[in-house]
Formats: sequence, structure tokens, C-alpha cells
Amino acid sequence: MLIEMQAIQVNQGNASILRDVNLSLDKGSIYGLIGPNGAGKTTTIAAALGLMPVSSGLVRVLGKDPWTQSRFVHARTGALPEQSGFYEWMSAEEYLAFFGNLYERPLTRGEIAHCLSQVALTPRPGQRISTFSRGMRQRLGLARALIPEPELIILDEPTNGLDPRGRRELHDILQELAADGIGVLLCTHLLDDVERLCDRIGVLVSGRTVVEGGLTDLLSANGLSQRFLIRLSAEAPPDEPHPHEASILTGNGGWRIVDIAAKAKPEEVWRKFYALGWPLVEIKRENTGLEALYLALTEGGTA
Amino acid sequence: MKRFATICFLMLGVVALATPAFALRISIAPDHGNPASPQMGDRLRFHTAIQNDGHATQEGVLAWISLVETDSGKEQPVDLEDWSAHKAVVSAALLPGQTVETIWPMRLIKAGSYRVVVSAMSRNGETLTASPFVDFTVRQKPVVESSRIVPVALGAPLFIAGLLIWRLRENRARA
Amino acid sequence: MNAVAIIARKEAGDLLRSPRGLSWLLAMAAALSAFSLLLISDAELSLLDNAEAVYGMCAVIMGLGALLAIVMGVDTVAGEKERGSLVPLLVAPVSRDRILFGKLAGIAMVWAAMYLLALPYLWAAGGAGQNLAEGLVSLALMGTPVVLGFGFLAMGMGARLSSTRSALMVCLVILLLAASPVILGPSLRQTAVGRIFDWINPLSVALNALDAVIIDSQAVVSQWLHWNLTLLFSGITLWFARDGFYRTAL
Repeated sequence: MLIEMQAIQVNQGNASILRDVNLSLDKGSIYGLIGPNGAGKTTTIAAALGLMPVSSGLVRVLGKDPWTQSRFVHARTGALPEQSGFYEWMSAEEYLAFFGNLYERPLTRGEIAHCLSQVALTPRPGQRISTFSRGMRQRLGLARALIPEPELIILDEPTNGLDPRGRRELHDILQELAADGIGVLLCTHLLDDVERLCDRIGVLVSGRTVVEGGLTDLLSANGLSQRFLIRLSAEAPPDEPHPHEASILTGNGGWRIVDIAAKAKPEEVWRKFYALGWPLVEIKRENTGLEALYLALTEGGTA
Repeated sequence: MKRFATICFLMLGVVALATPAFALRISIAPDHGNPASPQMGDRLRFHTAIQNDGHATQEGVLAWISLVETDSGKEQPVDLEDWSAHKAVVSAALLPGQTVETIWPMRLIKAGSYRVVVSAMSRNGETLTASPFVDFTVRQKPVVESSRIVPVALGAPLFIAGLLIWRLRENRARA
Repeated sequence: MNAVAIIARKEAGDLLRSPRGLSWLLAMAAALSAFSLLLISDAELSLLDNAEAVYGMCAVIMGLGALLAIVMGVDTVAGEKERGSLVPLLVAPVSRDRILFGKLAGIAMVWAAMYLLALPYLWAAGGAGQNLAEGLVSLALMGTPVVLGFGFLAMGMGARLSSTRSALMVCLVILLLAASPVILGPSLRQTAVGRIFDWINPLSVALNALDAVIIDSQAVVSQWLHWNLTLLFSGITLWFARDGFYRTAL
């Protein structure tokens, strides 16, 4: 287990910031931590990073207490905080070289170039960070987080301010990292990102974990499915045969509504549709089962 | 002949009586506490006594101090702007036999040889009265040399400004 | 290279390589130049002999150094926190002590740059007179703990107040208070309160030592008590900075 949090409580003065937080993240898994504003997501991340002590409960990151053994944890963890500032007068190369030295991994020019290409960041030689766009800064922050070749990466709202292409590229990077066995803790408001990337989620409301587990398990346990809209180039096959994981509802304006079971992988279901002769020309994700779950769980819990 | 000489003598006497004598008399002396060998920055004081030696009251007496540099080839009057704030004294009226005493402080600004004199006049007088001269010499003392200061004071900020401009240009070129 | 040196180089680079930092240095140079030109143009100041001019210049350099250290000290904790560049440092595998000492070393490097900048001014003001060499040594000995002390104080304030504006205001007021005996003149320093204040005020302590060495031609070693007092000031403010940095909330 890369991260293990049980019954975490964090107090600041008389205020209870976290009351009962549970979180578990394994290797190669992408965990989505979601919740309304002020739920305690950033504090949870700070506790996981050893930036603040917990008042009670168990926190283990890479098997160690991140507060008392922060050096061990930090040497193996990459982090991209929500507000990641940079040294504007440096170039990207100088910035990565600086952090490479801090992480005791002095980077050669070639290694720096590799870090930058890993995150698809291509600044002009010597270009100052002060001239970087928001998307370039996010990529640079991710490159910094990857310097220690981490076992675990923690990201807080990493797609904020990114355009759709930037978001898609970041998603691809995170999926590659997970495929390489790196654990990813993703804190975000964007349910689309969670649905696309995460296999486990935790929903935080007012400092408490209200639900935690595998995404598809949670959706199907709550009777929720994945809803899509499909458009056909011709008539559907006679009797409309369809995979058992899907149910077809009537639509309008040339669109048909398809509900797919929460546990099913949509790509496999669409392959089955094609095999059955359905002339699919367009598929749109409609309802997010996660959205319904989230809204139900967080009703009244917004800060 | 005797009669003619007597008449001339009497006329001279009348003229002499009719013409007022120099009514004001000024004496000047350096203060006992003045340094024997003053240098730049030192302070000197001069005492003057202005007496009305005439028979009539002198109205609106004005006395002022003057300073001239007497170094050979550099003779010139000195502007007392930085030397002294006490440049003149006024007395509304000076009765016959009355004396006005004044102290004249002075800060020595520049090295060289100087002569100080106090002059006075009255509204109803016809001539200027001057004190005797007092000469003194001001020694040079080592002070900040402008030939060193100016290049540094101008050069250092210019150098840093140049660095700044170069840096800004470099940033713009790499932007 | 160890983490302290890495961070110190970064902090110094922020001043010496960034346009913002170069602007600060330019402002310092302009202030020194203005004072130097006053020394030759103002009737009163132009009568100062070399020793007095050097003493006055040392006082200005120390005051400007303390001001620069305050600005840097506030910026290096509160400023970085506001800009979001502190957290990436805190999640690097470097202890908080090393991060702190790296930042402190950065302030020391900046004071060194300021001292080097001041050398030509001191030579120009006092090159032909007495005690210039002793003055340079005394400025380094006395000025360093005083300037660094104000830098540490600013770091501690920045860590506690978490706002650059508030921390800067507080520290500037403290600096003004420390400089008040110099600004208000010697007569106030003759009172009982003035004398006590002279002994607890690090700027006064350092200036008294400089006066003794440069103008009164006393030996540098005779100022050991003054030097110890300035070291005490920097020690207390170092504790203040460290304690605040460890409490720094996100």
C-alpha cells in the first residue's frame, strides 16, 4: 500500500479540519479525491505529504510516517500542489537542475531534456519561466514532480487552467505513470477527469470520508450506470440485439440512449455493438453516474 | 594783512564747526577663544564696539561684516552665505557717547588668507566708517575629494543600470 | 553540493540575476551615490574630515544593508508562500533546517554583495584619511551580525504573519525605531532612556563601535563587547526565524 490513512483527524486550534478521513492507494492505481470546497482535500494532501501532523489516526506513506520520516517519503514522492509557484527568473532547465540537485539526482542536459519531453514541454532555449503560459507551468511542475522517479505522485487540481488538448495530454501522462506501477493521488473538482482516469475514489464532505472504494463498485452498488447517446448512420439491426451489459432506451432527434452497467468497460461494449451490426457513427457520454453519486453524497455539505 | 588772516581763520573755524566729525568709531578684536591656527571647519568670533563720538545722535545705524580673500592672485570678496548667518546689525539710534557691542561668529569654509572688516553708516551721516582690518589664515584639512567621489557616485549606479538593461533585453530576446 | 549551498545560490541568484533584484541593488547604489555627492556638495558635510565621512558612509551602508536584508527576509518566506514556491521546497527531501539555513546563507551572500558594492564608495570618501582599513574591518565585523540579524527578524515575521505586506511594515517600523537615535541626534541619547536604548539597540551598538575605531582611532579588538552584543542580537533573531519557520502553516 502506497498510502494508508485511517480515521485521520487534524485540528488547528479549536477548529477540526479533518474529522475522519480514510484513504488507501495501491501501486499502479489512480485515486480520485473529490469533495466540495472546504471539505479538507488540501489538508488531506498536506497530511499525506508530511507538511502537517495529524492529531489522531494512522497515516502511512510508503510504509512510513510522513511527518516524522519526511525525508524518506519526499525522496520517493512527487507533488504538484494546486498553487505551484516558480522562480520566474530561471529557465525551465535551470529550474529542473536546481530541484535535481535538491533531490540529490544531479541532472545532465540530456536528462533534463528527457524530463521536458516526458511532459511535452518544449520551451525555447533559455526561455524564462516568467514568460510561460499556465499550461507550460503545469507541465513544468509535473516535470519537477517526476525528478525523483517517484513511486507515488500527488496532484492537487492539476488540470486547472489547461485547454482540452492540455488536459488530454496530462491524462495520457498520468495513465502511463499508473501503467508503470506508480500510484497517483489526484485531487480534483472535475468529475470528467475522475471518470476518465481513476479506478478508486474517495468523497470528502466536511472533513469526513463519506464513501471510498473502486469507482465501478461504488457506481453499481448505488444502482448507477453509465449513460451514453449514440447516433446511427442507418437503421438498427432487426430486433436490436445488444450486449447484456447495455440497455437501450428510445431517444429523439436521431440519438438513442444507451445505459451501460457501471462495471462494464464502454470500449468493449461498443465493440460488441459493432459485431452485432450496429452502424454506430457517433458516441457521446451523457450522464455521469459519478455526478449523480457525488451530488447525492455532498448535498448540504458545500463549504 | 593781520585782519585778513584772522578773518580766514575764523571762517575755517566756522566751516570746521559746521562740518560734523567722523561720528562713528569702530574697534574690532578677535575672540580670546579663537584657535591660534585655525583650519577649515573651525569657528571664529570677532568682537566689535561701535561708538558715537559725535555731538549728535546717529539715527538708523547699520553695521555689517565683510570678508575678502587676500591670497596673491586670488584676491576677491567672499560671499558670506556659508560662512556666517550673522551678517549685519542695526541700531535704531546711537546717542552721543553711546557704544554698541556686537559679536560676529564665523565658520571657516575654505582654506586661504583672509581679511575681515566691519563697516558702519547712519541714516543722518554722510560717510562710511570702517574698522581696522583683522587678518587670519585658514589651514587646509584633508576632506573628501570630489575627484574620487564623482566617478564612483556616477559609475557604480550606471554599471548596475547597464546590467539591469542587459538582463531585461536578454529576457525579452528569450521570451 | 549540499542543500544549504544549493538553496543559498538560488536565493542569491534571485537578487543578482533577476531584474527585480538588480533593481534593488540599483536603488542601493543610487542611495550611496546621493550620500557621496552630498559629502562634496553640501557646505556642512563637505567640511567633514575623511574619518567622519567614512563613519557616516558606514552608517548609511549598514542602514541600507539592514533594509535590503529585511526585504529579502520577508520575501524569502512570506513572499515565497504567497507565490506558491515554498511548498515544492518543503516537499523536497531536505530538512526544514537546511532550507532555513540555505535562505539565511542567501541573505548573507546578498550582504556580501552589498559590502563589495560599498567598497569603492568607502575608498572614495576616506582613501586619503585615517583608519579606512580599520573601518572596513569594523564594518564587516559589526555590520554583518546587525544586517543578518534584521534579515532573520524579517524571516521570522514573514513566517508568523504570512503576509508580506504586514511583515514588511512591522520590520520597517522596527528598523526606524533602531535608527531613531541616529536620526534624532546626540542630545536625546544623553538621557537615561537614551543610554539604555543605546545598549539594547543593535544599530547603536555597532555605530558606537565604528565611531570608536574610525574617529577615535581605538583598536578594533577593544570593541569586543560591542561585537558580542551584535552577535547576541543575531542569535536571538536566528532563534526567532527558526521557530517561525517550523511553525509555517501552508
